[in-house]
Amino acid sequence: MRGKDVRLDKVSIRFGDSIAVQPTDLAIHAGEFFSILGPSGCGKTTLLRTISGFIQPTEGRVLIGGEDMAGKGPNERPTALIFQNLALFPLMSVAENVAFGLEARGVPRAERQRRARELLELVALEGFGDKKPADLSGGQRQRVAIARALAVEPSVLLLDEPLSALDLKLRQHMRTELRAIQRRVGITFIYITHDQGEALAMSDRVAVMSRGRLEQVADADTLYADPATPFVASFVGEQNVLHGTVAGLTDDIVQVDTPVGRLSGRVKGPLAVGEAALVLVRPERIALGVGGAPAGENVIAARLASRSLEGASVHLVCAAAGQNLTVTVPNGPNVRELPEELSLSFGTRDALVFPVGALAHG
Amino acid sequence: MGSLARAYGRPLATLITGITLLWILVLILVPLGAMVEQSLWWRDSKGDVSLAIDRLYNDISLIELDRNAETDPAKQAAFDKALAEKQAEVATLEAEEKNPPKTYGFANFTRMSALHFYIFVRTILYALLVTALALVVCYPVAYVVALASGPRKAVILMVALIVPYAINELLRVYAWLMILDYRGVINGILGWFGVVDLDNRGWIPFLENPSAVFLAMIYTYVLFMVFPMVNTLETLDRNQIEAARDLGASTARIHRRVIIPHAKPGIAVGCIMTFMLSAGSYSVPAIMTRGQGGDWFSQLVYRQFYESNNWNMGSAYAVSLLVVCTAFILIMMRLFGVGLRDIAK
Repeated sequence: MRGKDVRLDKVSIRFGDSIAVQPTDLAIHAGEFFSILGPSGCGKTTLLRTISGFIQPTEGRVLIGGEDMAGKGPNERPTALIFQNLALFPLMSVAENVAFGLEARGVPRAERQRRARELLELVALEGFGDKKPADLSGGQRQRVAIARALAVEPSVLLLDEPLSALDLKLRQHMRTELRAIQRRVGITFIYITHDQGEALAMSDRVAVMSRGRLEQVADADTLYADPATPFVASFVGEQNVLHGTVAGLTDDIVQVDTPVGRLSGRVKGPLAVGEAALVLVRPERIALGVGGAPAGENVIAARLASRSLEGASVHLVCAAAGQNLTVTVPNGPNVRELPEELSLSFGTRDALVFPVGALAHG
Repeated sequence: MGSLARAYGRPLATLITGITLLWILVLILVPLGAMVEQSLWWRDSKGDVSLAIDRLYNDISLIELDRNAETDPAKQAAFDKALAEKQAEVATLEAEEKNPPKTYGFANFTRMSALHFYIFVRTILYALLVTALALVVCYPVAYVVALASGPRKAVILMVALIVPYAINELLRVYAWLMILDYRGVINGILGWFGVVDLDNRGWIPFLENPSAVFLAMIYTYVLFMVFPMVNTLETLDRNQIEAARDLGASTARIHRRVIIPHAKPGIAVGCIMTFMLSAGSYSVPAIMTRGQGGDWFSQLVYRQFYESNNWNMGSAYAVSLLVVCTAFILIMMRLFGVGLRDIAK
C-alpha cells in the first residue's frame, strides 16, 4: 500500500443557498496523518465526503495522487471511508465484513479468506473472523472497520470521528493504536474530529476549520503556540481573553489598554493604534508573582476567587477589575496557602494580540 | 399470568387473560374447530334406499289390488299380513332415508375428484406465481419509498400507494375488468388505431388468459407486499449502503449482500400475506374470468357450500387450502431464516 497526496483546488460546496464549505485550497501530503479539527457544523464532514466522492464539489477540483476525481464515484476512488457509526454489516461475519471489498472486486474466495486473516491479524483480532459484529466490543468493532477499509488497499483512508462512540479510556488507547496502524501501513490518513486532544495527539498536521473555512493548517505545536486566528487560539487549548484598545505599536510588539491595565504582547494580524484588539494569554503562561515582577513584563493585581484541583495541576480563578482570569499552576506544597491578594505576571511573548474576530465557545 | 398480576393487580390481570382467552376461543378455535369437525364426517347419499322404498310402495299397491280382488277371507288375511310386513319395512327405510347415519373419516379429503385436485394444485401454483410477480414489482417500489427518495417524496409515494385502497376491492377489480374487457379500454385503443377489428369480434381476449387474474391480483394485493418491505427497509442504516459503495460494490451486489438480507423479514411477511390472500381470493378470479377462464380453488369451495350444498366436502376443501397455506408460511420462514419474532416486528 502506498499513500497518495490529496489536493483541494478552490473547492467550495453549497447545498441550495447555504454554503457548507467556502472556497478552500488544501494540500495533504502522501503518507501523512492529517486531521481536520472543528466544532460540529463547521463543514468538516462535508469536506471528507467530498474527498471520498459522496458529494461532488459545487466548484473546484479534488485531486488524489495528482489525478482529477471529477465524475468519479466513491467506488472508483483510491479512498476508503470509516464511518462515524462504523456501518459494519451486521448480518455478515467479521471475516466477511473485512473481505467485502475484495468480494466486490471479484477476488476468489480462498484469497479473500487469506487476506481477511492477515488484516485481522494486523488489527490484533485473530480468531474473531467467525463472530458477528454485534458479538464484539466497541474497540474491537472499531478495528474491524479499520481492517475492512484497509482490505481494499486504499491510498487514502478517511476517518469520520470513528472514536466518538467509545469511552474515554478506550478512546485514548485507540489513538495510539490508530497512529501505530498508520505508521505500519504508511498510507495517508485523513481524520475528522471535534476533539482537539485526538487531533493534537495523533496528527502530523492539523487543519482547524470553522464555519466552512480553514482557519489554519499547521502541526500541533504551531497550532498551540502560534495560532493564526483568535478562533484557533481559543479553540485549541484554554485561553484568557481580554478586550482592549491598541495604545502603541512597535515592530511586532503592541501595547493594549484593557480593563486590567496596559498590557503588551505579540502582534498577530493587522493592528492600528486606537483600534479594538483581543489579548489572549494561556492559563499556564501566567505566573503567580510573589515578589516584584521583572521589568517589561505584564503584571496584574488580582484577587483569588476560587480554586479547583485537577490532579497534577491546580486551576485558579482570579478576579481583576471585573474580569475573571484563569491561572494554571503545578500542584505543589505552596498552593494550599495562597494569599487572597495575588499579582499575576506573564511575559510579552506569552500574550498574543489579535484584531477583533470570531472566538470559539461563543 | 403471574407477571401480569404483578404489573396490573389480580382483577385486571384476570380480565386481560379472560378477554384474551375469549378472543382466541371466538375468533380462532370455534370457527376453525367447526370447520374441521364438519370436514371429518359425511352422510352417505341414500339413492339405493329411495329405490327400495319406491319398489316397496309398488309392491304394496299390487298387494292391495290383489287383496281387493280376492273374496276368500283366508287369502285376504294372508295378503293383509304381507301388506303389514311391507309397510313396516317402508317405515324403517323411510326413517333411514330421512336421517342417514353420520360416518366419520377422512373420505372427504380423499374423495376429491381428479379435476378438483388439478384445480387445487393449479391454484397453489398460480398463487405462488402471483406472489413472485408481486415481489418483483414491489421490491423496487419499496426500495424507492424507503431509501432512495427524500422524506417528502416518500410521503407522497406512500399516499399514492394507499389512496387506491380507499376504494372497495371489488370496484378496483371491476376497473381492471373494464380495462381488459373485449370492448375494454385497451382493445378500444387498439381498435381506434386499427390494430384489432372490434366490429368483427377481432378483439384480443385478455380475460380468457390467467394473466388477467394475475394482473388484477397483484394490483389488489400490492400494498400487502410493499408495506412490510418498506417497514424493514426503513430501518436499514443508509451508511451501510454508502460503506458498501465506498468499498467498491456494484449496485447489484449492494442489493444482494446488504439490502435484501436486511429486508428478509419484510419480504417473508409480504410473501406470506400475498400468497394467503391470492390463494384464498374469490372475488378476483370470479370477476376477472367470468367463468371463461379456469376456476380457482376458492370458487370450488364456494360451490361446494352453496351450489352442491355439501358443507362437509366444502369444509374439507377449505381445510386442505388452510393446511397448504400454513405449510407455505413455515417453508417461507425456514427459507428466509426468520422466526415468528422477526415477523411480529
